[in-house]
Amino acid sequence: MNIWDRLARLDRRWIYLLVALAVIFPLIVPTTFKIHITPEARQLYDAVEALPDSSVVMLTFDYYPSTLAETEPMSIAALHHLFRKDCRVVTVTTIPLGGPSIAERVTRAVAAEHGKVYGVDYVNLGFKYGYVAVLKGMGSSIEAIYPTDNSSVPLSELPMMRSIRNYGDISFIYIVSDNAIVDYWISIVNAEYATPIGIGVTAVSAPKYYAFISSGQVTGLLGGMKGAAEYERLVSKEAMAFKGMAMQSLVHLLIIALVIAGNIGFFAGRRAKKRTAA
Amino acid sequence: MSGIEILQIWVAAFFTLAIFSFLYKDNPLFKFGEHVFAGLSAGYYIGLVWKSIILQQLWYPILAGEWLLVFPAMLGLLMFARLIPKISWVSRVSLAFVMGNTAGVFLISQLNGMILPQMQATMLPLVSPDGFGATLMALIIVVGVISTLIYFYFSKEHTGALGVTAKVGIWFIMVAFGAHFGYTVMARVSLLIGRVYFLYHDWLGSFYQIL
Repeated sequence: MNIWDRLARLDRRWIYLLVALAVIFPLIVPTTFKIHITPEARQLYDAVEALPDSSVVMLTFDYYPSTLAETEPMSIAALHHLFRKDCRVVTVTTIPLGGPSIAERVTRAVAAEHGKVYGVDYVNLGFKYGYVAVLKGMGSSIEAIYPTDNSSVPLSELPMMRSIRNYGDISFIYIVSDNAIVDYWISIVNAEYATPIGIGVTAVSAPKYYAFISSGQVTGLLGGMKGAAEYERLVSKEAMAFKGMAMQSLVHLLIIALVIAGNIGFFAGRRAKKRTAA
Repeated sequence: MSGIEILQIWVAAFFTLAIFSFLYKDNPLFKFGEHVFAGLSAGYYIGLVWKSIILQQLWYPILAGEWLLVFPAMLGLLMFARLIPKISWVSRVSLAFVMGNTAGVFLISQLNGMILPQMQATMLPLVSPDGFGATLMALIIVVGVISTLIYFYFSKEHTGALGVTAKVGIWFIMVAFGAHFGYTVMARVSLLIGRVYFLYHDWLGSFYQIL
């Protein structure tokens, strides 16, 4: 049995071990990789940067806890950018499992860093069941859909919400999502109410949304942890996603090496079989 | 870090390691983690539906005088007729309402928000005033869309010019699959990084707090 045969029969648990080592190594030995800012991430940053100060921005937390590694750094970086620009932020979620509590925890932590006050500078509307009705309904009246915020405080008692009635009062919608809800934000909210939309999505769904950039329906796109790291870089708040890129890059290099080795092994094995047959 | 926060971290770390243990081989610890997750999710959803729909969106508004909500409530109750075979046909009334409503909403939004803008974005001038790069991109988009659509045209045998164009379409599809696969690998690795980062920083970090 030559080396290629052994490689073809390799127990996959050795590969898991190699991947684990590639992830753990940069944690023990701090390693940094250069990050290139993509035009799509730059476009999203510029769109937020171009908003007049104290604009109202809706930030969505449309993701489950399982994808926190990709999505939460986007939300944190977005909030730093928005609060730094003195934007007033309205957070919503269409995800019941974790969405409201993630929004509450992340927003309050970043707001405290910027000295922002709940009800004046930001509001967490939380979750409401039936996303199509919710997205359409907020076009007429946000208060009709969310009579209270996430903590059951009536919107009429929150000073910030007195001047925000519907999408007409919102300058930009910043969507952070791990699922196809983005399609409805685009096809219902952007198409019907013409509110500009920027998105941060998991890497799995990122390729799909490039088409919406070129059609002009979406203003800027962050794809996965790499997109989050780019935004962290742009807002000069390098954190978890930026650190994660070293691990990401090492694992990618390992996978590329394994794919090449696997292919060489496959062709070498086929050649050896042909020789034996001859 | 408070005691309850440390406990939360340890519970999360235990279940993370329990699920990861499947990578070695299937074992009772993994099964336990899997079943706890399934049970918790089901319980959470029942509680959520009860609180955020039945109570907040139906019962409390009815008590406050919104009597019209009785009609959607009745439509909802009709769905349970499926459990009684003799009158199961009654549930079709509710289903018909849901299907009609959904079709009406999505027909307009998909046409207005997806199909037409995407078609419009494909109708590009083949010679762009923005230079050679933009012209090349426009050509790739137009050729890619036409050849991919032709690949999915099955009313005529893929021979001759149609066959060649369909083969070009396959290449475009393969490139798209490759991009999707690459991004999917990146996404899965990110999730692993997230858990390892949690174990290293939060869980191992909690040891210092305890000591």
